[in-house]
Amino acid sequence: MAMNYNAKDEVDGGPPCPPGGTAKTRRPDNTAFKQQRLPAWQPILTAGTVLPTFFIIGLIFIPIGIGIFVTSNNIREIEIDYTGTDPSSPCNKCLSPNVTPCVCTINFTLEQSFENPSKECEPYRRNEDKPIAPCGAIANSMFNDTLELFQVGNASDLTPIPLKKKGIAWWTDKNVKFRNPPGTDPLEERFKGTTKPVNWVKPVYMLDSDEDNNGFINEDFIVWMRTAALPTFRKLYRLIERKNDLHPTLPAGRYYLNITYNYPVHSFDGRKRMILSTISWMGGKNPFLGIAYITIGSISFLLGVVLLVINHKYRNSSNTADITI
Amino acid sequence: MMPSNGTRSLLWGLSEVEEKMGWRQSLQGADVPMGRTIYLNEPLRNAFCENSISTAKYSMWSFLPRYLYLQFSKTANAFFLFITILQQIPDVSPTGKYTTLVPLLVILVISGIKEIVEDYKRHMADKLVNSKNTIVLRQNAWQMILWKEVNVGDIVKATNGQFLPADMVLISSSEPQATCFVATSNLDGETNLKIRQALSETATMKTEKQLSNLSGKIKCEEPNFHFNSFAGTLYLNEKSPISIGPDQVLLRGTQLKNTEWILGIVVYTGFETKFMQNAVKSPLKRSKVEKVTNMQILVLFLLLLVMSLVSCVGAIYWKDRYRAEPWYIGKSDYDYHSFGFDLLVFIILYHNLIPISLLVTLEIVKYIQALFINWDEDMHFKGSNVYAMARTSNLNEELGQVEYLFSDKTGTLTCNVMTFKKCSIAGITYGDLSSKSDDGAKGLSQSPCFISDAYEFNDPALLQNFENDHPTKEYIKEFLTLLCVCHTVVPEREGNNISYQASSPDEAALVKGAKKLGFVFTTRMPNSVTIEAMGEELTFEILNVLEFSSNRKRMSIIVRTPEGRLRLYCKGADSVIYERLSENSLFVEETLVHLENFAKEGLRTLCVAYIDLTEIEYEQWLVMYKKAITVVKDRMKTLEDCYDSIEKKFLLLGATAIEDRLQARVPETITSLLKANIKIWVLTGDKQETAINIAYSCKLLSGQMPRIQLNANSLEATQQVISQNCQDLGALLGKENDLALIIDGKTLKYALHVEVRKCFLNLALSCRTVLCCRLSPLQKAEIVDVVKKQVKAITLAIGDGANDVGMIQTAHVGVGISGNEGMLATNNSDYAIAQFSYLEKLLLVHGAWNYFRVTKCILYCFYKNVVLYIIELWFAIVNGFSGQIIFERWCISLYNVIFTSLPPFTLGIFERCCSQESLLRYPQLYRISQTGDIFNIKVLWIQCINAIVHSFILFWLPAKMLEHDMVLQSGYTTDYLFLGNFIYTYVVVTVCLKAGLETMSWNKFTHFAIWGSIMIWLGFFAVYSSLWPTVPVAPEMTGQGSMALVCPHFWLGFFIVPIVCLIQNVAWKSIRNTCHRTLLEEVREMESSGVQVLRRDSVQSFKVEEVNLQRSSSPRPCQVIFRNNSVDLGAPHGYAFSQVERAVISQEELVRSYDTTKNKPQKTFSSATLE
Repeated sequence: MAMNYNAKDEVDGGPPCPPGGTAKTRRPDNTAFKQQRLPAWQPILTAGTVLPTFFIIGLIFIPIGIGIFVTSNNIREIEIDYTGTDPSSPCNKCLSPNVTPCVCTINFTLEQSFENPSKECEPYRRNEDKPIAPCGAIANSMFNDTLELFQVGNASDLTPIPLKKKGIAWWTDKNVKFRNPPGTDPLEERFKGTTKPVNWVKPVYMLDSDEDNNGFINEDFIVWMRTAALPTFRKLYRLIERKNDLHPTLPAGRYYLNITYNYPVHSFDGRKRMILSTISWMGGKNPFLGIAYITIGSISFLLGVVLLVINHKYRNSSNTADITI
Repeated sequence: MMPSNGTRSLLWGLSEVEEKMGWRQSLQGADVPMGRTIYLNEPLRNAFCENSISTAKYSMWSFLPRYLYLQFSKTANAFFLFITILQQIPDVSPTGKYTTLVPLLVILVISGIKEIVEDYKRHMADKLVNSKNTIVLRQNAWQMILWKEVNVGDIVKATNGQFLPADMVLISSSEPQATCFVATSNLDGETNLKIRQALSETATMKTEKQLSNLSGKIKCEEPNFHFNSFAGTLYLNEKSPISIGPDQVLLRGTQLKNTEWILGIVVYTGFETKFMQNAVKSPLKRSKVEKVTNMQILVLFLLLLVMSLVSCVGAIYWKDRYRAEPWYIGKSDYDYHSFGFDLLVFIILYHNLIPISLLVTLEIVKYIQALFINWDEDMHFKGSNVYAMARTSNLNEELGQVEYLFSDKTGTLTCNVMTFKKCSIAGITYGDLSSKSDDGAKGLSQSPCFISDAYEFNDPALLQNFENDHPTKEYIKEFLTLLCVCHTVVPEREGNNISYQASSPDEAALVKGAKKLGFVFTTRMPNSVTIEAMGEELTFEILNVLEFSSNRKRMSIIVRTPEGRLRLYCKGADSVIYERLSENSLFVEETLVHLENFAKEGLRTLCVAYIDLTEIEYEQWLVMYKKAITVVKDRMKTLEDCYDSIEKKFLLLGATAIEDRLQARVPETITSLLKANIKIWVLTGDKQETAINIAYSCKLLSGQMPRIQLNANSLEATQQVISQNCQDLGALLGKENDLALIIDGKTLKYALHVEVRKCFLNLALSCRTVLCCRLSPLQKAEIVDVVKKQVKAITLAIGDGANDVGMIQTAHVGVGISGNEGMLATNNSDYAIAQFSYLEKLLLVHGAWNYFRVTKCILYCFYKNVVLYIIELWFAIVNGFSGQIIFERWCISLYNVIFTSLPPFTLGIFERCCSQESLLRYPQLYRISQTGDIFNIKVLWIQCINAIVHSFILFWLPAKMLEHDMVLQSGYTTDYLFLGNFIYTYVVVTVCLKAGLETMSWNKFTHFAIWGSIMIWLGFFAVYSSLWPTVPVAPEMTGQGSMALVCPHFWLGFFIVPIVCLIQNVAWKSIRNTCHRTLLEEVREMESSGVQVLRRDSVQSFKVEEVNLQRSSSPRPCQVIFRNNSVDLGAPHGYAFSQVERAVISQEELVRSYDTTKNKPQKTFSSATLE
């Protein structure tokens, strides 16, 4: 094909069109943009120019890190493994498939009172997700142990701790993302024609007696449906709300945990744990971020020192023009 | 597709190197069958192609299929198409069905729009041409029709100044003897007019009636692309067939000149015209960077395969470990998961490792780079208002890597304007003014070519001496008379103006020079010339013209002076004149010194001398001469011997010096390019002497430089002299020496033989300067090809004429001078500039910048993709190689299209390593891009490893941060996507900041791209996660934004994660810059420390310059002792003279055929068609 033939040649014999316009008529205005003379900042990266940055990063990060670390350490957390793999555990019996339903109880002591509200028990286990049909496998494997917490009183009488089951899911999940089938009929009617997932004990419309926490908007279900990223994960189970400001939510003392053991994890070496934790502005306990800040701050400071030395060493020699191409 | 002219001739050329102009001859030699019959005045029997042309790539209907075909023949696009298809298989894709399709469509649409815009321009141009008017004979009457309606067999009438609409055979014309003139500069680049003459049988057919009654047929060859050949036969009824040759053919694309009208029968139309057949696509050139990039894409593809395989193996291992499938994964889901299936899943998962947007990004970036070249005011030639033009944008970065520059001479280095500059008469030089005052010299070197008069010979001393009866007055008179008489120039009078038409530009310059001094050559008649010497009219009878040939190096003329004496005037090379001087000749020594001085300045010198003949002498000689011209065998030789016998005992008059004017700033540009480590070879079709002269005047050669001259007649001799020189060089062979190699085309033919080639190249590469003279166009291309293949360096060829097309197409980068010599070189070039000196800016600034830009853009595109998609691999490790994605699928596919699309553009468009002034001032900076060290497979690996480290940090740091899933104030737990969004945000920030780290020059666009991209993502994140359920996309993103953006961990990580990634890069960069300061860093520091670039006295800049001086390839005196006589150590000779030799008509016939006292015939000669 004739590609470089330019019809314009025949018209006026002028040079062919450039990609940008016609040869004869274009008169580029002499702008800084077109002449590539836009004002620009040329950063010079040498030891001398960057070392203040390193020191500043160090000086900022280390205090931040310390602050985070302290906050994290102030968070109280107690962890109880109730998988039952240990023969001495009261839940050991639940590993046998014959015992259904299985209820086991665990006694534990809080040595300090849990000042700030909260909460929560969560199962720890290995998990693999394969959302081939997002409502399939994940929903099917929904966690269905029941945990109840009692305070052991002076006369060994059990005071149940009220566990809040609403408000554990994200607001958007509860109110936007998860919706029950529309209608005014009872839920059972609206779910007519569906069947419960294989591993479930109860159908979806019988998850809770509260109409506002049943069906798809059951918060246990919603929490479960937020699939975790890592194999070991926590899920919010219940909230323990502080009643008033005067008394600690969970005063120091002996407690009694009653578990309805439904969820098998033994087959894939899973573990289940209940964790009681207080909550701060940065959520639960995790010293990692604090340590990371402190480490990076220190490294940065150290690099600053190294650069200072290098700068000192090479500043003189650079003027003697030791240039190589 | 049509085979290209250039390629074809090259193919032939490599098999048989022909003599000068073998290029054309080989084309003519091709056998073309007589395939076409055109019936006169029987339009229905002539069914050939239409005359409408289309240079567009696409039509309305063919656009889609053709465009898609072109796009998907690119490997990367095909790969993404393949991925898209894979994604359509149910359940295979972890990222949904359309996540590759949409970006691919976006990219296809963008480049589609670009194609449409470009094609629309072509359509418009075609339409303009197709709808031009012309007059044809239809139904016995002249009718005005459009060009596209012209058919084969039509009789067309064209008038003066018109372009011809199709190829036609001339029937008759308005001029006597049915001649006409056409300008062919569009076709072959020659500026002179060509004469065409109709057959005498048709010359009288001028009226409608005659033409309508014409019956018969024309048989001719099939359409082909040879401009200078045509074979046909005219069969007129009841007459014997007449053969038609190229002299009767008028081609499309040519313009009718100096002819009132012509009539012609159309023989070829539209695409079958020779013009269109020649308008070939230049060979597709790929830049080195592009090749490396393709390699790198392949590397990434391998990485992708390796990752997929590793993941598959991981998946198998995981399944094996949990032999019994976990109950929580439904059995049915896992049944069909075989190895192959997994592999597909992972290929889809990781496929974005190959940057989908790279190609389109590069296309746009390079397009804009090309625009910058087009816009550059520094490369705007105000004289003809021509801007530089990037005809391709593929090679922008290649401009930064040029190592060998092959330059044509005439029209490229020189203006092809000769001016009489100096002379030496009777031992006194005149015209030396300019060299005495420095201002003059400066003005000269910068004078644009077209202002010619101001710089001509101008020395009042000469006229004063003449008028004031200086002792040398008679010599001056004789000298100027000689200049007026002894030549083959034809004067043309237009009113009071006399212009001179000459086949030799030297002669024209001399005659013009003499005219300025009051010796005006006015009239040429077959047997005499008339001059006006200071107002006095003198007529010289021309008795004989002793012709010029490059063998003889002189031309003489025998005249009878007005006084009735016989005199022989001679002008020629110093060497030949000096050996013929009589003992009585004066000023021999002085003139010799002057000649040497002229030569050192690069002026073309001629010696002039005369001798008075006696009648007897002349009679005797005439007898000999008459005998000689009748000799059949070896006539030339006999004639030359005969001439020689009378050219003796000369009396020296003096010498002339003609300046072959260089283009503006050529010596400076060459010096600068040499500093940039670019080796410059001059390849010229011109003579050796001329080439050497120019090499001196443009500072390629200096006075002391030894010149190795290779002129041999046989393979053995060539081999011998080359190996002798190689031996002499000894250890210096292979290094750059201060030597010049000069070789002629004939010797080069042998030197490029397979056995000698290597040796020759070794020798040539050891010389600082290489001049190749008397090359055919084919040899020019061949030598470029040899260097290109053997040295593996980037070559650039620059030229302006049709004879440079071959080398322009062969070299990696072809640059055409868009000047006077027509369009052929420009049309086949990759870049067109108006002046040789613009090469400096094109290479040193645009080339270097574009190289930095393109390579950084590519590396960055690779980097950002590796960073994001390797994260999937880390995630696969923790999720049992299930193929789960950690990000929302549309975020993944918009990564390249939106969130990180701007930084590559700013890198590719605005990146500057340092300012234009510095690049021009320190040409050494060019070596950074020239060596290509900043872009190769090793650099890619380093970049990839860096990216993998970054992605490692970017995954594990947030993963550890969110390890306990409890980072929200109210105790809510999070999910994988929450982590994914953290990571994604940090990736965008890190990748944008990394672009900032790579950017050496931040302008407002850079700021916008870097900070803007981060803001765009954050904004998008906030909006996107609140779309559901209003807009049915991304339910899983619901609430992510509102949760993440208020999470303290998110913002704490926002600052620490990118810093962790980049702190190492910053530290490494600054340590390297401090400990190992490069010239570039030095220059950049100088610039940013505010040292005025123009202040040369600044301490730092002075130091840099000093260093540069030491480093520059300063001419080391060459200490080689040459033991062979091919090396010329002496002072240069300045002799050079251009003249047409062995033309169809001899010089004598030529001068005899004119009588300028009559008005017609008016003819135009080719001027200096040697080049």
